[in-house]
Amino acid sequence: MSRALTDVLLDETPDAVVVTAPDGKVSYWNDESERVFGYSSAEAVDQPLDTLIVPPGHQDLYLQFRREALEKGQCTFETTRRRKDGSLVHAVVTNKVIYDKEGRAEFIVTTQKDVTQLKVLRDAKLVESKFRDLLESTPDAIIMANETGRIVLANSQAEALFGYDRGELLGQLVELLLPSRYRGGHVAHRSGYFAQPRTRSMGAGLELYGLRKDETEFPVEISLSPLRTDEGTLVMSAIRDISEQKRAEQKFRGLLESAPDAMVIANHAGDIVLVNAQTERLFGYPREELLGKKVEILVPERFRGVHPGHRNGFFNEPRARSMGEGLELHGLRRDGSEFPVEISLSPLETEEGTLVSSAIRDITDRRGIERTLQEKNAELERANQAKDRFLASMSHELRTPLNGIIGFAEFLSDGKPGSINDKQKEYLGDILNSGRHLLHLINDMLDLVKVQAGKVELSAERFSLREAIGEVCAGIRPIAETKRIAVKVEIAPGLDFVTLDQQRFKQILYNLLSNALKFTDDGGHVGVEAALHGKESLQLAVSDDGIGIRREDIGRLFTEFEQLETGTARRFGGTGLGLALTRSLVILHGGEIGVESEFGMGSTFRVTLPLIVTGEGA
Amino acid sequence: MSTATILVVDDNSTNLKLVSDVLGFEGYRILQADDAESAQEIIRKTPPDLILMDIALPGMDGLTLTRLLKADETTRHVIVIALTAFAMKGDEAKARLAGCDGYITKPIDTRTLPGAVAGYLRSANTEEIRGKP
Repeated sequence: MSRALTDVLLDETPDAVVVTAPDGKVSYWNDESERVFGYSSAEAVDQPLDTLIVPPGHQDLYLQFRREALEKGQCTFETTRRRKDGSLVHAVVTNKVIYDKEGRAEFIVTTQKDVTQLKVLRDAKLVESKFRDLLESTPDAIIMANETGRIVLANSQAEALFGYDRGELLGQLVELLLPSRYRGGHVAHRSGYFAQPRTRSMGAGLELYGLRKDETEFPVEISLSPLRTDEGTLVMSAIRDISEQKRAEQKFRGLLESAPDAMVIANHAGDIVLVNAQTERLFGYPREELLGKKVEILVPERFRGVHPGHRNGFFNEPRARSMGEGLELHGLRRDGSEFPVEISLSPLETEEGTLVSSAIRDITDRRGIERTLQEKNAELERANQAKDRFLASMSHELRTPLNGIIGFAEFLSDGKPGSINDKQKEYLGDILNSGRHLLHLINDMLDLVKVQAGKVELSAERFSLREAIGEVCAGIRPIAETKRIAVKVEIAPGLDFVTLDQQRFKQILYNLLSNALKFTDDGGHVGVEAALHGKESLQLAVSDDGIGIRREDIGRLFTEFEQLETGTARRFGGTGLGLALTRSLVILHGGEIGVESEFGMGSTFRVTLPLIVTGEGA
Repeated sequence: MSTATILVVDDNSTNLKLVSDVLGFEGYRILQADDAESAQEIIRKTPPDLILMDIALPGMDGLTLTRLLKADETTRHVIVIALTAFAMKGDEAKARLAGCDGYITKPIDTRTLPGAVAGYLRSANTEEIRGKP
């Protein structure tokens, strides 16, 4: 019965009771010991007590208290103990020595009370008063834990972040706030941290996650700092939710992947930090073979020497630019083949410092297209020249038989070879008019082609404007007289000698005057005015009170074969080339031509020409 | 005066005929050649007073023939008038340089051609008269 009572007492006592030999080997281990430390009696008996429950760093303390007990017979202290799973508990420990009959120490009875929660409350009280206000004012979530891994303080930001009330967190293992898959590893890390506590960011380069009360996870960044207090070392962790940052990274990733170009991001040392799928495709490397390698791996051997120098140049003055503008750049594939590229660089400011982001485009296709375009252009140029030659020779070929037609018609019409009757004379006149019109058309066309092809060179000579205008007016006088149109000429006093291509000048004036006469009804008025325009130009205005031009038609006026109404060509004759040719000749002189007109009221054509034009006289 | 002999050289038969007939109608004696080589032959047999010379001819061109004629003592006095299709600057100078005495651009004007030819013949005669002591 008494034996049973002893057993009951030892098993039911709320303290862990362990009996050890003086050398520290366990000889007795009660049920509460198993509950507190996790080892069963079978596991613990015959093992040295310190290897079972003394955490690293507490060995000296353990030995000191044993010595003290052996010297004094008994001692009580508060310390940290380790459980089988590596977690720590806070315990109040009493060592009592049992002596044999000779007074030698036979056993040491150790009773240990788990006061982890009491310690938490004490620590909490300590840090609350000292740090609460300070910690509430930081933007980060702060969790403080003591050596046993229990939470002793959480600021409001931490409550909000994890979704717990302060009361729910106090005394809990910090692992509560981790996804379960990380918990086992974390206990070991934590113990390791307390063995060598110093300020550091946790798991740099690792993906860390927090776990909310509602079981949702979120990415975090954590920094740790130790806090030494009278109650032992505490650890303060500042936790930052980096969901936003991760999302931004994801977005950046997405952007990178959706870019049409191969994107290669490298650091100052030239190590590849990031590449997209297009890079893998373009260069034929899987991503993992590129990350951490020098970017020169993508550059043909012969350019590798100079590349780092260029890179330094970029980092000295980082701004977006295209690389080697005007140079032929090449990329090198994994299989050793090369291809032409175009590269643009831009600096990328990141937490790891400035990086260079390069967009690389394979321009093999474009090179091909450019070549084809060049060939096409050359072909077009040849075709154009052929067309010019054709038109020139056709004009000549067309004129030769016309000479015969016009000549013989004229000869016959004049009655030189013999007399002809009136009807015959009329028909000969029709042949002559048609022939002359055709000749005019051919001449204008040839002229226009030559001017537009740049084949006409001005032959500048000094001549009297007054005389030249007089000659042109004399030339059109027969038509003017037939239509009873008065041609009034006004030349500003002091304006006489000019240096222009006289023949072309006359052609311009002749074209404008014959147009004016053509589109002015019988008995109308036509005027020619010449005046200085600024110091170095003259303005020639040819006006009429004829049919005028509709506003919407003015733009088409100087275009080939654009006599305005289809009807007008029939009514007024003309080639439809006159104004186009006139404009070309004016431009050839470096001048300008314009028109003002009111429909039904008449038109005024104004030509501005330099007083002196340079041009080689033949 | 209208008894002068005129040689017309043109490879285009219609033009050849037109010029010949217009001048023939004025009473001149007309000789015809459709290239420089046959023209040389005719000139050797019957030296004309005036030649209307088309510049563009198959084979030897009109300017080359003119140079030959002007280099030859026996034909130097023959008046050579160039006929050209293109009224281009420089053509006249080229013709003068080759030794042509005058220059008429095509298309010829049947109304002014006889007068122009008569003018050339007259001025040549005047020079000849003046040239005599």
